[in-house]
Amino acid sequence: MPIIVNLDVMMAKRKMSLNELSEKVELTLSNLSILKTGKAKAIRFSTLEAICQALDCQPGDILEYVENK
Amino acid sequence: MSKTNNFIFVVLHIVAWLIFVGLCIEAGALIVNFVYSLFKPEIVAYLYEKLDLSDMYARSKWAYFGMYSFILVISVMKAVMFYIVIRLLIKLDLAKPFSSFVSEQISLISYFTFSIGMLSFIARQTAKNLLHRGYEIDQLYKFWVDSQAFILMAAVIYVIATIFKKGIELQNEQDLTV
Repeated sequence: MPIIVNLDVMMAKRKMSLNELSEKVELTLSNLSILKTGKAKAIRFSTLEAICQALDCQPGDILEYVENK
Repeated sequence: MSKTNNFIFVVLHIVAWLIFVGLCIEAGALIVNFVYSLFKPEIVAYLYEKLDLSDMYARSKWAYFGMYSFILVISVMKAVMFYIVIRLLIKLDLAKPFSSFVSEQISLISYFTFSIGMLSFIARQTAKNLLHRGYEIDQLYKFWVDSQAFILMAAVIYVIATIFKKGIELQNEQDLTV
């Protein structure tokens, strides 16, 4: 998929575990895991907002576009 | 789901089981009659539901076996179709109805319904043909009187199956939306 989710990179920078992030954004571990492993088909703005707030970052820090070759 | 919906499903389940048992009894009786008539031809005058095909048998065994095969296959297919309906009702989860299993079962039901409708139609035309040749076929009409209804039902169920497949796509996308 051309959109890559760099959630683990940001989590490592902020030294936050998946459990902590899940509690802060009020998302289940399984949903966060779906996002982290790149299996998600879509993300709600509300979820993106909560993640950016929790990790103190911009959407571009989490989402990256890589062209299919 | 509301209590009314659950109650309707329970009633549907019971009705489906009753119809399935009835169809199994009919199919079983027809099969037994058929096998028995192979060894004791005199039985063709006393078939299931007072069916008397002795004249047809006497005039042409091929006509008898042909017509009886139609009756047999249609009744067995009806029983199998209701078995699929029961299996669907048992495994259907009303909280998450859009699954590939449900979609497959609905598609299967539509194929069976269409096949039953087409076979009934072909059998009816064949019976008309035999009528023109002087055979007595009045007793056979009851076995394929509803052919057009089955074909119509098949079309409706096929549309439902197509909509269900779209529903599954939407549900899968929803499941993978965070």
